[in-house]
Amino acid sequence: MMHENLIPIGIIPLLLTIAAFIIPLLSIVIKKKLFYHVYALIFSIVALIYTVLNYYIVNILYGKPIAYFFGGWIAPIGIAYVVDGLGSVLGLLIGVDMLFIVVYSVWYMWNEEGVEWYYALLLLLEASMIGIVYTGDMFNLFVMIELLAISAYGLVAFYRNKKEAIEATIKYSLIGATATTMFFLSIVFLYGTYGTVNMADLAVKARLPWICETFNEACRFFSAYSGVSYGNPMLATAIAIVFALWAFTFKAAIFPNHFWLPDAHPEAPTPVSAALSGLVVKMGAYSTLRVLYTVFGLGSLIDIPTGAGLSLRDVIAYIVLILGAVSAIAGSLVMIIQNDIKRILAYSTIAHLGLIFMGIGAVMHGSSKAVVTAAVTAVVFHIINHSFGKTLAFMVSGVYIKAVGTRDILELRGVGRLLPVTSTALVISLLHLLGVPPLGGFFSKLLLYNALMMSGQIIFAIILVLSAAISMLGYMRVVINIIVPPRPSKYIGVIREHIVPSTLFAVLIATIIGIGILSMVGGVVYLESIVGSTGWIDGIREYINSILSFYASVK
Amino acid sequence: MELPTLVASVIVVSLYVNLGIALYGIFARPSLVKKLLAITILSDTANAFAVLVGYRWPRTGTPQPPVLMNTTNYNESIKYYIEHAVDPLPQALVLTAIVIGLAVTLFIAFVIIQYYRLYGTVNVRKTATSSR
Repeated sequence: MMHENLIPIGIIPLLLTIAAFIIPLLSIVIKKKLFYHVYALIFSIVALIYTVLNYYIVNILYGKPIAYFFGGWIAPIGIAYVVDGLGSVLGLLIGVDMLFIVVYSVWYMWNEEGVEWYYALLLLLEASMIGIVYTGDMFNLFVMIELLAISAYGLVAFYRNKKEAIEATIKYSLIGATATTMFFLSIVFLYGTYGTVNMADLAVKARLPWICETFNEACRFFSAYSGVSYGNPMLATAIAIVFALWAFTFKAAIFPNHFWLPDAHPEAPTPVSAALSGLVVKMGAYSTLRVLYTVFGLGSLIDIPTGAGLSLRDVIAYIVLILGAVSAIAGSLVMIIQNDIKRILAYSTIAHLGLIFMGIGAVMHGSSKAVVTAAVTAVVFHIINHSFGKTLAFMVSGVYIKAVGTRDILELRGVGRLLPVTSTALVISLLHLLGVPPLGGFFSKLLLYNALMMSGQIIFAIILVLSAAISMLGYMRVVINIIVPPRPSKYIGVIREHIVPSTLFAVLIATIIGIGILSMVGGVVYLESIVGSTGWIDGIREYINSILSFYASVK
Repeated sequence: MELPTLVASVIVVSLYVNLGIALYGIFARPSLVKKLLAITILSDTANAFAVLVGYRWPRTGTPQPPVLMNTTNYNESIKYYIEHAVDPLPQALVLTAIVIGLAVTLFIAFVIIQYYRLYGTVNVRKTATSSR
């Protein structure tokens, strides 16, 4: 039976959530901090095993997307999880990166008060992120985004007696709650129009009537459960996408909604900054990709050209492109004038998310399969690269902060000379983020550039290069201040390397260089074969078909 | 204009006005407590909107709650249910959204208390100096 193999899809978010909620109960009985470190480590390893298993099932065992119905309720009625190539790759990324972050937390938070609450929130964060990339249901996406948001607010407010941390949390949570409520409103609009919140069902309904000619069984299957659309679907879809994009751009910190990130990311504990910058903001990019490519992608009802040759989807794509370009330029420019090392990295995150959104907006009406494939591959590859690079950079900044007790790069002058392994990691991570050829960051920026050129957005391709050039000044300021000056005499013999972060840095450097080497010997082609079909009709067809074939196997 | 359409239009317009009031409260009022109240207004408006979307005015008779009352005469009661009951799914969505909204509201309320302890005020305009 096929569906017996699919249990790992549904179990991870549930398992991690239960594990997280048991921690407060355990904290009544067990007071030893070591227990919670080991507990979090075990569950992050379990999550990694399950994400690897899912990756194996989707891409190697079956080679097509797989679905799972919660509680045995059939898809448009119950909640379905659908894991395709895109979801499995990002799930694997979350599993690997969160394991690094938990190992780093064991060192960084070793003697911290309230470590049990910290791990409860961190496990919830991981559960919600895996839920977001695996879910095939709009309302479940909303629930997971809210879960992600609440655990992220809690982690930002972890140092609750610091004024700046509480102010950052207020900024983040007040507008965050507004944005997610708007996403709920968008789901209400979608439900009122299409009578369903299932993504595969919405993808079918948005492509009526022509999909019925080529893919009749899906048409009949879904209309038997959720009827046909009602009212003016085009207008309702446009309103729904506007509301949803507000929530997604808020999560991803794209230009008008970027204001919270430079406050929230630096004020959180350093491992959390790594998780927020490395993974949490990517969930906004992923959701945008899913909504604009799979659900309301090419060939859907908002992709029909109206006046001036532009379709509604093109207008949305242009908005995404322009907001991404503004974020890329503004993030790079503001990064130069900062003195706080974590704020520099936070502004760099805004710039990189801008680049990712420019990649998402590259697909317009009439784009060929090559353009869609190039854009999706570039976006996913840049998400992976930025995730590892920014995790490493924040971890390095945590070592400096713990050693000297300040985040100001002017007070960290020369400290880098006392910590050779850490400083090597700093230089490599910044070169990776900047995009210097042998490292992975270069190849993903090249792919983004290619995708923008292929779709004819030459101005935005130039903005991409310009953003990288401007951000070089910011990265170089960090290196010049921390590593180049002579060793400060008061710290000689006081600061030394610690074995846990050094080992972790070695592993992450190996990962970054490995990605670079792999992308030279065919890794890009492999990634393209996994995620490239997302957004093109055969990928969408497989996505829809996964629900039909799962239904056939459990019937 | 028929009565159901008129009532629905009035409700929709008032919900949009509510939405505008809530957004004004969140973005323009200086007090954090007022902002929190505006957020609860916003989420209640969204929830009311969802319930409205699930509401149906049947051709004959009055709308019923989505509860299957009679289980002895199954076919008849299912037929009556389909013709008269309102859509239960938005109500399920609203229940979930209310629970999540409770968690968010509690969290923000806690953060506001902590803000008051640290700054001695809940007026964000008086404390905006620390932002760089």
